[in-house]
Amino acid sequence: MTAYAALTGAGYRAQVRDKATLFFTFAFPLIFLVVFGLIFSGQDVQESGRPYISYIAPGVMSWGVANAAVFSVAFTLMQWRRDDLLRLIRMTPTRLPAVIGSRYVLALGVGVVQAVLFTGVALLPPFGLELKGSWPLALPALVLGITAFLTIGVVIGSLADTPEAVAAIANCLMVPMAFLSGSFLPMDMLPSWLQTASRVLPLRYLNDAVSAALSGRGGTGDVLLGCAGLVVFTVVFGAVCLKTFRWSNRV
Amino acid sequence: MTEARALQPETHRTGTETTISVEQIRKRYGGHEAVAGVSLEVRRGEFFGVLGPNGAGKTTLVEIMEGLREADSGTVTVLGRSPWPRNVALLPRIGVQTQSSAFFVRQTAREHLSTVAALFGAPKDAAGRALEAVGLTGKRDVMVENLSGGQRQRLAIASALVHEPELIFLDEPTAALDPQARRDLWEVLRGLKRQGRTIVYTTHHLDEAEALCDRVAILVDGAVAALDSPHSLVAAGGAPTRLLLPAGRLSPEAALEIEGVDRAEVRGGSLVLETRVSGQVLTAVDRLVGLTGVQTRTATLEDVYLELTGAAAGTTAEGTGGTRTTDGTDDTEQQS
Repeated sequence: MTAYAALTGAGYRAQVRDKATLFFTFAFPLIFLVVFGLIFSGQDVQESGRPYISYIAPGVMSWGVANAAVFSVAFTLMQWRRDDLLRLIRMTPTRLPAVIGSRYVLALGVGVVQAVLFTGVALLPPFGLELKGSWPLALPALVLGITAFLTIGVVIGSLADTPEAVAAIANCLMVPMAFLSGSFLPMDMLPSWLQTASRVLPLRYLNDAVSAALSGRGGTGDVLLGCAGLVVFTVVFGAVCLKTFRWSNRV
Repeated sequence: MTEARALQPETHRTGTETTISVEQIRKRYGGHEAVAGVSLEVRRGEFFGVLGPNGAGKTTLVEIMEGLREADSGTVTVLGRSPWPRNVALLPRIGVQTQSSAFFVRQTAREHLSTVAALFGAPKDAAGRALEAVGLTGKRDVMVENLSGGQRQRLAIASALVHEPELIFLDEPTAALDPQARRDLWEVLRGLKRQGRTIVYTTHHLDEAEALCDRVAILVDGAVAALDSPHSLVAAGGAPTRLLLPAGRLSPEAALEIEGVDRAEVRGGSLVLETRVSGQVLTAVDRLVGLTGVQTRTATLEDVYLELTGAAAGTTAEGTGGTRTTDGTDDTEQQS
């Protein structure tokens, strides 16, 4: 078995055996989708005349996928460093791309399952999401989004030395970002200055791209713009990763 | 690993080949020189102990040998290569015991070891053999989180052995083990040595170092204070042998009359005689009061260690004989 396959297998088992993480990855965003979806069932957003679900479904999906990417890699990295597992890996001939690749594939797998699950629920009659023909474009957007948020997760996992610190930093970042990027509140309901200001947030670009692809709120150009924004964030946070990464908590 | 497999299975003798060569290694952290010019060689097939008090630089020195740290100056050669920077050609030939928490989460013991084996590119049956070697076969399907302290320790050792390395670094391998498990592990370690593997081992258990190590280096303040076989160190240390006579058999005054007795005092219900010529004194005691109930305590590595490390700390440690435990308490004698 290759190092890559072994690490992916171990990561997969760790993932499916952890009920709490499974809940927060799959069920927790679904609760938001169901609650918001039922509250605003059949209603339209005044400002745009579009149904709420066309905002909420892509919004909750982007947030859920981004959140899972950040938390999983941040927790894993903090834990591997704290438990000396990074040192163990460092002392094997395994090359770094195999380690990163296995974590990347796991994160993408989680993201795909999330996307299918959330879309499937949003399509059910009480919510009534209508998929646009451009929906396949959501896939590259999600992949780029997961990539960008993984780099953010690596930075958090490098800075934080305890699970509490990971949760604190990641929540402080992700919860406000979810509201300001239009994940829970339709972007069109926010004041225009806030809409402009939210352009500094990576989740805004993921939301815009996924919304444009799934529910047609915007065209192919919006998908491309969102994807381009995510690539920029990946490069920026990727560079920060290289600066902040530590093999060990010890001096 | 093919190289490790090719080792002669029953090589008892320590070879003349050098496995690790360290020359004038220095490592400074801020104003503190953790390793202050250490030179030593570890020979192929040798069981080499690194001893010393906390903060003496053991960990830093070993981590430099492992290739986890870069020395500020000096040279390190491990199996003919430089371990720094990370040398992936060298790593499969080295096994390092990590903390007993370094496990992939939510895996069984076997799953963890199989993952580690795959990281080394070791064959499929490697995990099973490593579990067998440390006596964890019965626990192979237990989640790593549910293993006891001693079992975790053995799993951490198995992680260092799984790819059959030529050179193994062990860090306090018996720390969390009960006496029986400790003895069992000694057998595992002796078995590794018999297979021709080289073992570098840090410990605070001096009795263990004496029982297992071919040679030990005692580090004090980042420098080698002594380096030799435990036997030679004890012999050269000149610590006295103690004879314990049941109290009342002989008065301290009378005992001091015996030629070769350096000290005589009553401690913990025994008359303790210190001598450097135990044979001569025993003969004299036999003639005077007989040898029934007389016990002999020869000097141990611990006496040498305490002398070297105590001298550095500014207090000359008093040797206490073969029954001192390493946490500083003495289980048979009360020191005055």
